Amino acid sequence: MDLEFDDEQRLLQESVRETLGKLRGRPEDELWAAYRKLGWTEAPPVELAIILEELGHAADPTPFLASTTWFAPLAGRLPDGAGTAVLDGAGRFVLDADRAGEIALATAGGAVVVDGARVRAERLATFDPTRHVAHVDVAALGVPDLVPAVPDLALAGLAISTVGSCRRILELVVAHVKQRVQFGVPIGSFQAVKHRAADMHVAIERARALAYFAALAIAEDDPRRGRAAVMAKAAAGECQRLVFQSGFHLFGAMGFTWENELQIHLKRAMAGDLLLGTAAVHRRALLDEEAAL
Amino acid sequence: MKLAFDRDVEDFRAEFAAFLDANLPAEDDAVERPQSSSDVPEWSRRWQRLLFDTGWLLPGNPPEYGGRNASLPQQLAHLEELSKRRIYHSFNPQGLGIVAASLLTFGTEEQKRRWAVPILRAEITASLGMSEPGAGSDLAGLRTRAVLDGDHFVVNGQKVWTSGAHDADVLLTFVRTDPDVPKHKGISVLLVPTDLPGVVRRPFGSITAPDDLDFNEVFFTDVRVPRANLVGDLNGGWKVAHGSLGHERMMLWLTFAEWMENVVRDAPAREEWYATLLMDLQALRLLGRRQLAGDRDPAELSVLKLLGSEALQSASLHALEAQGAEALLHPAVTGPYNHMTLETFTASWFERYARTFGATIAGGTSEIQRNIIAERILGLPR
Repeated sequence: MDLEFDDEQRLLQESVRETLGKLRGRPEDELWAAYRKLGWTEAPPVELAIILEELGHAADPTPFLASTTWFAPLAGRLPDGAGTAVLDGAGRFVLDADRAGEIALATAGGAVVVDGARVRAERLATFDPTRHVAHVDVAALGVPDLVPAVPDLALAGLAISTVGSCRRILELVVAHVKQRVQFGVPIGSFQAVKHRAADMHVAIERARALAYFAALAIAEDDPRRGRAAVMAKAAAGECQRLVFQSGFHLFGAMGFTWENELQIHLKRAMAGDLLLGTAAVHRRALLDEEAAL
Repeated sequence: MKLAFDRDVEDFRAEFAAFLDANLPAEDDAVERPQSSSDVPEWSRRWQRLLFDTGWLLPGNPPEYGGRNASLPQQLAHLEELSKRRIYHSFNPQGLGIVAASLLTFGTEEQKRRWAVPILRAEITASLGMSEPGAGSDLAGLRTRAVLDGDHFVVNGQKVWTSGAHDADVLLTFVRTDPDVPKHKGISVLLVPTDLPGVVRRPFGSITAPDDLDFNEVFFTDVRVPRANLVGDLNGGWKVAHGSLGHERMMLWLTFAEWMENVVRDAPAREEWYATLLMDLQALRLLGRRQLAGDRDPAELSVLKLLGSEALQSASLHALEAQGAEALLHPAVTGPYNHMTLETFTASWFERYARTFGATIAGGTSEIQRNIIAERILGLPR
């Protein structure tokens, strides 16, 4: 068993980081075109996880996550343009449904793909300004027998993307507590502050390990893939809970402002927990699986 | 990244499993129980000797020291096979894992022959004398003095928490040999045979029972220790301390994983804490395996120590609470009997929970681990 990235995976991680650094602040459609041109949408699960972690870290505004981890595993192919999927059987809170060229629907008889132009979906007002979330009017589509069916990759994808957000939050917090001086010293020299930061790091390492294990299990189609994906999503949710709370708190009042970059990542992290079932939901799913063994 | 273990690891695992199936002592032959962590019953000494002679005691060692030059992933497979069967690695764990390991790294050839091999072959047992009444987390503040007088060191002072000392034949003892230099630079390490005049050991009970005698106070009064018993360089003890604990720290997470696995097996529940336990255990194993890959920052071991010990403690408390008033019963048996392990691991839920505080206190408290993570990994100011 080898849980380290190989050389190619390490190179990919570096090149994704470098590319995102260069593209920082570019318009959404330009980013989306660049990712597709680089072949990122076609990456297999572990490599996809590497990309998604960095996109999470960069608070990526494109429909990459929904296209590659919601639409693709359900439809069995990449979307023509941007895509997403109705995974809950009801069309509620569908990522990127308002801007998808194609939408996959999970039905009792398998996946059905509909043209995005046929779909009535209006972007919802949410606390996370970097994500598009919409309800899909499934009744108007006339596709019968919609069922809940969440691909393992969709759970793992949201999990690793949330880990990326949490990593960014910790980076910002560490930079802040190193330079913020009170009582004549950087507040990062106080143990009470250090220990919260250390706990954030441990939570991130835990969630990150479980997310990559899920990606690896999916890549190898290992029988543990479903259980691993549930664990990954639960751990990412637990991680954001701790990282959000300590991250926000350690920033002091500055974290409460709109101008501070922190708010973007806090919201993305929390949204990553809320979509497709929170940590509590997936802990229960894990217990159900255990009981069925 | 890949899920499968390499062929050589799987072959190694299978060979060891076959060895265990063929050679494990029968329950009727293993009746006598150890009373402390340096008390090894005769049957268990024979078993440890067999492991030594066949290279299955510490497979990472060369054959002359009870091993077969196994790789780190193979060593992990070895410990996993023991853990799966609830076989305790050695009833003199510190002798094996810290004292002998330190001698093999820092000792002279004579010390390896005279002390390390007999400890590994369970002909003698050893305990570790580090902590003192005034030196716990701040180990470098230790005050037990050793003054060179001709061919001998004359030792005066006191150790405490010295597990199993009253049953040990020798103590690996950290002493101050130069009081006039910064505290890390004046420490040396001596092998102190416990039958020397002036060594007094006083075992005392633990929270679990007055007759649970493992902790000791050890008093040294004008104890004359031959100079040949100096391990490593004079005043080079801090390096030995780091090395000694390093041996243990690399695989310490696996001990926590084993205890957590015992809670998984002995207290299955459909409560949220149980899901958290399953995830903690899985994450610990993944991070621990990754650490074996080499080239990792040693500070990352603090992540494993903190995650494992805190998760174990939390799960053990939940398991205790899940029993309700039944958990009041003490002593009690809460897991299957296994003659190859210690009863402490299947004791009352109160005892099992209490023992997890050994995990969060010993080997660097959780607070020390958090400091290491914050300073060495995150780069926060000291």
